[in-house]
Amino acid sequence: MNTQPLKKNISSYIIQTHEEEIKRIAMELHEGVGQSLYSLFTGMQLIEKAIEQPAMKSYAGDMNQLLEKTIQEIRLLAVELHPPTLTTLGLISAMKSYIKLYTSTYGIEVEVENLGVESQISDRDSITLFRVCQEALVNIARYADTMKASIIFKWKKSRLLIMIKDSGKGFEVETAMNKSSGLAAMSERMHLIGGKCTIFSKIDKGTSIEISLPLY
Amino acid sequence: MEFNVCNKSRKDQPFKQACEQVLEELNCDFVGLALQNSNGPDVSWHYAAGNRNDKYKRITVRYGKGIAGKVISTGRPMGIEDFPNNILGKALEYPIMLAENLSYAFAVPIQFKGVLKGVLLVGNRTKQPISESDQHTILDAAKRLEKELNSSI
Ligand SMILES: Nc1ncnc2c1ncn2[C@@H]1O[C@H](COP(=O)(O)OP(=O)(O)O)[C@@H](O)[C@H]1O
Ligand SMILES: [Mg+2]
Repeated sequence: MNTQPLKKNISSYIIQTHEEEIKRIAMELHEGVGQSLYSLFTGMQLIEKAIEQPAMKSYAGDMNQLLEKTIQEIRLLAVELHPPTLTTLGLISAMKSYIKLYTSTYGIEVEVENLGVESQISDRDSITLFRVCQEALVNIARYADTMKASIIFKWKKSRLLIMIKDSGKGFEVETAMNKSSGLAAMSERMHLIGGKCTIFSKIDKGTSIEISLPLY
Repeated sequence: MEFNVCNKSRKDQPFKQACEQVLEELNCDFVGLALQNSNGPDVSWHYAAGNRNDKYKRITVRYGKGIAGKVISTGRPMGIEDFPNNILGKALEYPIMLAENLSYAFAVPIQFKGVLKGVLLVGNRTKQPISESDQHTILDAAKRLEKELNSSI
């Protein structure tokens, strides 16, 4: 894709403000709403213990369980939107918690391999990498019809390589690129941070997405 | 009551059989039974019949999401026709439909002492809607399962 410098800046700006907004919502869910619900939950547990009438006690127990489910769902939503650990603990940790959620949501096992030493990357780069990996994994859940996938991170001196593979259905890359914009957006987002994203796929053989980002 | 996962094999039989019975009775492609786990609030798929892989075993139903999650949060039966068309939200919010490649599904709540403890789901991979009489059969099967759950404590 041939983007002019000005257009590139505008795309970056739009994506960045969008990401900041998502991050704000995720934080608000996790630390705001989530925390309040948690306080309610601990208070309700005390009340449940104090109640002596059996029917009321069991009713309070059911309400507590509903609260627990809601707290859990809010935590999962935050991980999907913008993992709370991405800025503090880094890409690998955030990907691992996303993958845990992914497996329990879609039933697809993901083998993770992390080779080399993880180096510090900027917030903007890590959210981009996270989004591109997320899009690749989500496509696998939606289209690949497979039970397994794998993701490999290779930290080299001057670059980070990520490979996401499945041996599912596969597809015709060119046709798919024209049909929908998810794959094109992955490439474009990598391009905007100075990286690359290459898509290989073969019908009935599977798909492999290769991402690379220069490290300085 | 809590469904005991550790003590499975002995208690397994009636639930597995119930799924297979529904599969046969309705001539449908897939039957799944999701139940609340004994350790915590999670609901996951414990039994299936007609499954084409084991993905269901790893899926935890997310509260309020997808067909099973909605049945659990509303306590009412729910049907899906011609998936992934005409659905509420994104196709990705329907993991069991994706995992088993289903086009049509009907799911009903399983209750214990008036509290929701699970979901019985029936689905078809072909463009074969679940008829009204089939829906009644599914509701009857759910009632039988509720009795089973009540007596298995
Ligand atoms: N891992 C995959 N396995 C099989 N097919 C895929 C995979 N990833 C993408 N596709 C195919 O490529 C098409 C385009 O994908 P994408 O650009 O992400 O769009 P969308 O996800 O919105 O459909 C999909 O409709 C699907 O047919
Ligand atoms: Mg996509």
